[in-house]
Amino acid sequence: MSKFLLLAFRNVFRNRRRTLMTLLMVGGGVAGLLLVGGFFAFMFRGLRESTINNGLGHMQIFTAEHFTRDEVRVLDTGIDHWQQVAASVKAGEHVRGVAPRIEFYGMLSNGVKSAVFMGSAVDPAAEKSLGFTTLLNTGRDLSSKQEGETEALIGVGVARSMNVKVGDGLTLLAVTSDGALNGIDVNIVGIVRTGFKDLDDRYLRITLPSAQRLLQSDRVTNLVVGLDRTDNTDLVAAQIAPRLAGLPQQMTLKKWIDLAAYYQQVHTLFSAIFIFLGVIVFFMVLMSSINTLLMAMFERTREIGTMLAMGTPRFWIVALFMVEATLTGVLGAIVGVVGGNLLGWLLNVSGLHMPPPPGNTVDLPFRVLHVPSLMVGASILVIVSLALASILPAIRASRLQIAEALAHV
Amino acid sequence: MDESREIVNVEAVSRRFPLDHDLSTSHGHKQAHSFVRALDHASFRVVAGEFLAIAGPSGSGKSTLLNLIGCIDKPTEGQIRVDGVDTSMLKPAAMSALRREKIGFVFQTFNLIPVFTAAENVEFPLLIQGVAAPERRKRVAEALDGVGLAARANQRPDLLSGGERQRVAVARAIVHRPALVLADEPTANLDTQNATQLIDLMRDLNHRLGLTFIFSTHDARLLEHTPRILRLCDGQIESDTHTGSHLEGASNE
Repeated sequence: MSKFLLLAFRNVFRNRRRTLMTLLMVGGGVAGLLLVGGFFAFMFRGLRESTINNGLGHMQIFTAEHFTRDEVRVLDTGIDHWQQVAASVKAGEHVRGVAPRIEFYGMLSNGVKSAVFMGSAVDPAAEKSLGFTTLLNTGRDLSSKQEGETEALIGVGVARSMNVKVGDGLTLLAVTSDGALNGIDVNIVGIVRTGFKDLDDRYLRITLPSAQRLLQSDRVTNLVVGLDRTDNTDLVAAQIAPRLAGLPQQMTLKKWIDLAAYYQQVHTLFSAIFIFLGVIVFFMVLMSSINTLLMAMFERTREIGTMLAMGTPRFWIVALFMVEATLTGVLGAIVGVVGGNLLGWLLNVSGLHMPPPPGNTVDLPFRVLHVPSLMVGASILVIVSLALASILPAIRASRLQIAEALAHV
Repeated sequence: MDESREIVNVEAVSRRFPLDHDLSTSHGHKQAHSFVRALDHASFRVVAGEFLAIAGPSGSGKSTLLNLIGCIDKPTEGQIRVDGVDTSMLKPAAMSALRREKIGFVFQTFNLIPVFTAAENVEFPLLIQGVAAPERRKRVAEALDGVGLAARANQRPDLLSGGERQRVAVARAIVHRPALVLADEPTANLDTQNATQLIDLMRDLNHRLGLTFIFSTHDARLLEHTPRILRLCDGQIESDTHTGSHLEGASNE
């Protein structure tokens, strides 16, 4: 067996120039996939982290009712005694913090005209401790020290529609949990641009105590959980789930991926593009390898005839060609993985930037992540491609007429 | 070695090849226009330990006859028995096994595997027979020693002279102790000195090991050392001359 593999290995290097070209082609395919895949992985990671850090968090806890029925009254599917739930979750490993939120809606008025808002109430200190960023256009974020007048952030669309700016006041009107109408005055401290016009036209953010006073309720809509690392999401979710089961209210835990619809859409789109690229590389390697291997077979016709004349079983000839092609694939994959990572590293240190993506003003840094699963996948792709490419030449070689093959010049 | 043991029996063997591939349709069936008769009703037998030359001009059917005896081609008519096995009844896999176990080949152009060393080339027939590694090493060393190339065992063919390459090919042909060694124009690519040395080597192996050799040649000088000569002309056996006992050498030892 070892001699058989030795023969295959030496045959690979028989025509060095041709083997070098094949290795460069196969390696180029692998390197290309690693660079594109590595850049996509970098984009996915960036989008994932920005999605999480823009306020989604790694996990969110709701009452189970929140997803099974509509609220009859404000916050009647909210979390009661949420401090107890938050403390229980916070005690877990890898948990950086828990931020309570209230999602509500109502009317806002500048005294002359009114508009509908979609509001969220937050604990600024908790949000800040989790590293959540607010996409401020002008002004500042909500203060965690709530003194005097109630602070509020509004969207750029709301500011334009209400004709207000930082420092101006607005009146908020909402239905309380008892069904009564209530109102509070707020002072605008910042104007936010989320990048989504529909959201900017309705955006309002106030502090949690203000919202509880407005809605006359101690409940919160959900608790946002921040972790030390995104990779720990599944682990922590598994740890938290049993603790939630013992609470008076039935709770539901949602991971960030379940809530990040935009991320999922982008991921699906770019994954499809990457698969398409993989298919192109697969067929590129397949077609050019068939040609190369047929040439190799043709050149070795007399040698194959000799081996067959000596009584070499025909399946040995098939196996020899397939092993040779597979070895070429393995070597090409090694060239591609080494070359791709080296190129990726060079690109990373070069400080290259891409034009800003839609909705952004800052250039996107060009970074290529070194993804082990991608290296394995791309390597398997070209190895399989070469093994498949060898089938036709291998079968042709094994079916040679011995007398004719021996007379081949 | 049983001197009367029949190694090859060729009975009324003919081999025809289609002259061209210009096929015409007649009543819906494709038929070749004409054939060339490469071998025409040839009959002879070879017993163990013989040293037989098949002589004749180019195109006389020497290689065709060797191909048929070597089971790499099938006769159009007639029957060939190799070491008692009727080759006309064999399926391709059995033919392959017969070649592997009972026949050794020496080719005009040496046909060594260029990426293997001399020793690895000699080892190849044992490899495909599944002989264990220690036994392979022993027999390869013996075979190379037998052809005087023990010192060149680790050289690749491109570093060997033509004569050395052909001796490696002879070692490869005998290493698995076949019943029959077939050599198709083994000296055609060698100068006179190397050609004579090769024939002497083959004759020596024939004497010492009792191996049966059948080789084709059209070189008259080489036929001087050959006890039995089968002359072919236009595919027919013109003469079958015994100039000496095939045991002559063996009895001298």
